[in-house]
Amino acid sequence: MSGGNSKNKSRSKRHEGWEEAGGEFYQELYPGGEQELFDNLQRADAAKLATLLPSKQARNTTTAKRTRSQNERRQSTYARTTQSRDIHLSMLPDLSENLSNEERTWEEIMQIKAMPVPMHQKRDLKARLQNATKLRLQGFEQLQWRQRKVWYRFSIRFTEIMGKFELWQSALREIEGKFGVGVVSYFLFLRWLFFLNIAISLFVIVFLILPQVLLVENSLLCNDTYPNSTICCSEAYFNRNLTGNNVILDLIQGTGWMERTILFYGVYSDQIYSYFGKSLWQGEMFFNMPMAFILVPICWALFSLIAIVKTGAKGFKERLIESEGQFYMYCNLVFGGWDFCIHNEKSAKIKHKALYNEIKGCLEKERFNEETQLRSKESHILMHLRRILVNLLVFIILVASGVLIYYAFNYSRELLDEQMSGPEYVNRTAERLTLELYREGYTFGRFQNIVLEFLPSICIVVLNIIVPEIFEHLIHYEDYNPAHVIFISLLRTVLLRLSSFAVLLSQIYIQITDPNRILCSVYTDEGRLECWETYFGQQLYKLILTDFAVQFVMIFFINFPRSFIARHSHSNCLKVIGTQHFYLPKHVLDIVYVQTVIWMGAYFCPFLPLIGLIYSFLIFYMKKFACLVNSTPSPIVYKASKSKSLFMSFLLLGFVISIAPVAYAIAEIMPSINCGPFRGYSTVWEYVVITFDTFPNILREFIFLLGTSTFAVPAFAVLLFFLYYYWAVATANRHMVTVLKNQLVLEGHDKQFLLNRLSAFIRQHQKRCERNRASFADDDSEQNSSR
Amino acid sequence: MGQGKSQFTEEELQDYEDLTYFTKSEVLYAHQKFKELAPEKVGHNKNAKLPMAKILQYPELRVNPFRDRICKVFSSSNDGDCTFEDFLDMMSVFSQNAPKSVKAEHAFRIFDFDGDDMIGVSDLSEVVERLCGVELKLSESEIQALIQNVLQEADLDDDGALSFAEFEHIIDKSSDFSHSFRIRL
Repeated sequence: MSGGNSKNKSRSKRHEGWEEAGGEFYQELYPGGEQELFDNLQRADAAKLATLLPSKQARNTTTAKRTRSQNERRQSTYARTTQSRDIHLSMLPDLSENLSNEERTWEEIMQIKAMPVPMHQKRDLKARLQNATKLRLQGFEQLQWRQRKVWYRFSIRFTEIMGKFELWQSALREIEGKFGVGVVSYFLFLRWLFFLNIAISLFVIVFLILPQVLLVENSLLCNDTYPNSTICCSEAYFNRNLTGNNVILDLIQGTGWMERTILFYGVYSDQIYSYFGKSLWQGEMFFNMPMAFILVPICWALFSLIAIVKTGAKGFKERLIESEGQFYMYCNLVFGGWDFCIHNEKSAKIKHKALYNEIKGCLEKERFNEETQLRSKESHILMHLRRILVNLLVFIILVASGVLIYYAFNYSRELLDEQMSGPEYVNRTAERLTLELYREGYTFGRFQNIVLEFLPSICIVVLNIIVPEIFEHLIHYEDYNPAHVIFISLLRTVLLRLSSFAVLLSQIYIQITDPNRILCSVYTDEGRLECWETYFGQQLYKLILTDFAVQFVMIFFINFPRSFIARHSHSNCLKVIGTQHFYLPKHVLDIVYVQTVIWMGAYFCPFLPLIGLIYSFLIFYMKKFACLVNSTPSPIVYKASKSKSLFMSFLLLGFVISIAPVAYAIAEIMPSINCGPFRGYSTVWEYVVITFDTFPNILREFIFLLGTSTFAVPAFAVLLFFLYYYWAVATANRHMVTVLKNQLVLEGHDKQFLLNRLSAFIRQHQKRCERNRASFADDDSEQNSSR
Repeated sequence: MGQGKSQFTEEELQDYEDLTYFTKSEVLYAHQKFKELAPEKVGHNKNAKLPMAKILQYPELRVNPFRDRICKVFSSSNDGDCTFEDFLDMMSVFSQNAPKSVKAEHAFRIFDFDGDDMIGVSDLSEVVERLCGVELKLSESEIQALIQNVLQEADLDDDGALSFAEFEHIIDKSSDFSHSFRIRL
């Protein structure tokens, strides 16, 4: 039967395989046998002895066949050692090893792709491996292997499908080709933020916006006997006539009709929706709106934090490895300098130039460092003095901008308040004449109103544009090295943005916590702070819109004409004005800032993540335009790996800064009585505590236990133990690394020494041979002559 | 893509998928790119051998300072002419999914100009010259200083050249390398 036949065949094949394996093994141990080695040595040029070393030969793939089999062996031993973890066994020419099972064969096939051999050899190899006899796996192992294979297939298909959906692929390629990987990492970061916003938006849409839209609120009527109750207050608030402003104006300010939409905190219900399931679930279903309103922000905040840390940790790890080898700067420059993805001739030229400058800069800096060490202390002191001076100046600028925003805010508030009370005053006292006068001024007044409304936002944005430019110039006077320059200027700009932000926040905080503020809408006509959460949401909403508008104007109406001028004029002066580089730190800050605002506002204005989603989608195209059309490739070499972790650390900073005030507001500040899900509670957190009290007793006990010291102390101790363990492992590894490195050096020296001895010996030997031959020849000639 | 599909059997595609870092559709896409270099020749024979000059018209390779070395390293006939399979190998190594060690292996061979399996002083100066381009030239002393610095950093056994082990050591520690040694298909 055919079965027996094949068995026979396989046995013979096995036999051959065994012989081959044995031969290879000996070949590997003594390459070519002693005689061959000696022949080789004799033939070899003494200087090129090093190429005969086994470590070199294993890699030498140009001599096809033998190396291939060696490589194969290396691979397979590798696979086996990792599996069996028994190095000695796998080193021996064990016959059963040659008969690998299906899983190993498959693993080996998967290893082929890593081999540096041409494709047709790879295919041969694969065919050989596939046709070789192999043991079938039995039972559970078979199942496991099947599972693994299916999983592998699935993951390939999955990445293939995901690859189709991958956003902005061609745009990234284009940017990469022109600007290199450093700038692309920025756009990847932008895309990452876009996806993050999608995730946050999903949370918000599913758990806040949809329920609010779909579920029907029970209407409660205000009972006149308790005019102070939350129901009456909110009724008064919601029934108030909104000033009939222009629709578009309301749209950009978030006031008027916008205020009463699901955009803002105010309209979200304070009720627990109940819903009677028809047949599926007998009984009531609940949706606790206030609880959702607090759980959803916690969820997305945790989600963002995990996402940031997880992405940042990858870069951080790379940086840690790199920082250990700080002195690999030149190697990095030489071997990792060229971006292989550049495909545009002009950019290639600029890249050449950038590399040239970088190399020159590095060398010069080294020389400079040597010189400064030699130089007197005077210049040292002078430099430090200059740095202190510049830092002082930066500090003054920061404070000044803070003060400016403070005044702008106060000024606009005061004028707006005056106007709020103004018209009433006019209405009451003035006759028709003055009324008409007032109407004439009305359109102007409205325009003025908008300007005043937007004054703080405009002020912040304008400062954010101008001051970084000043910082950029100042930093030239400080003589930092390039990596520091980027970091320090980034830090300063961050501080600027934060200080302006902090002023805005503190202003609003002072207004909200004003003890004289009348809380219930029944008693007051003052419209602005009736629902301070909505008001705060509006501020952030305006901030985002302003930022977007400014970005838009800057890119399309200022920078684009500039670049146009630079491209088409020949005068040097205009060229200086027009040429722009894609200055990465600034652009990073732009989007980190927006993300900070989104995080901060998402609680007060649940729609903000959605707006952020649209924003980051549009800003990608705008930045792409700014990058590809407006800018010329930067002469600064941006390192992709470094910039990635830098982005993430700044994003983390932004996250902490945006979440802290929100957390404070949730924990401490009294929510408005008139609106929102937390009407009538003294803090938002109080609601959580009250809800917690209705939980079953066991759960409550359990959670209380988590808070007590009986749990905390042991948990802390265990954590400490873990920390210590990992620290110990890390130190041991570090020690091991140094030991191995020293060993490598020693081995290298040994090898060098032996090679030298060997080549000397060979030379001696060759000389002796020649001498012998010469003497033989002499003898021959003597014999001949004697004959 | 349908046109490309007709040129390969399912089996071949499976082989390519197993033996490179690409999926099947990426392989087909690569073939499309290869075909664009010489539509007629490749249309006739899917695995046609294109001369080096043709291969170098691929945009990323055209401006690459090491273009001829790349072709030579990946060429199965060792003269720089590449078949589609060689091209696929090349793109597979340059792809995002290829591990660092594979990239390092090929980078070493690309930088090893004289083929003595060591990156010596002459190789390094060639690399540096190519990096700076044709127009800008570093002075001889600067190049020497740079090479000295490189060797100081990486030449662990003080033999005046970088062996593969030393080179791999550098690459392991350089996170930029795997970012920059990449060509998007």
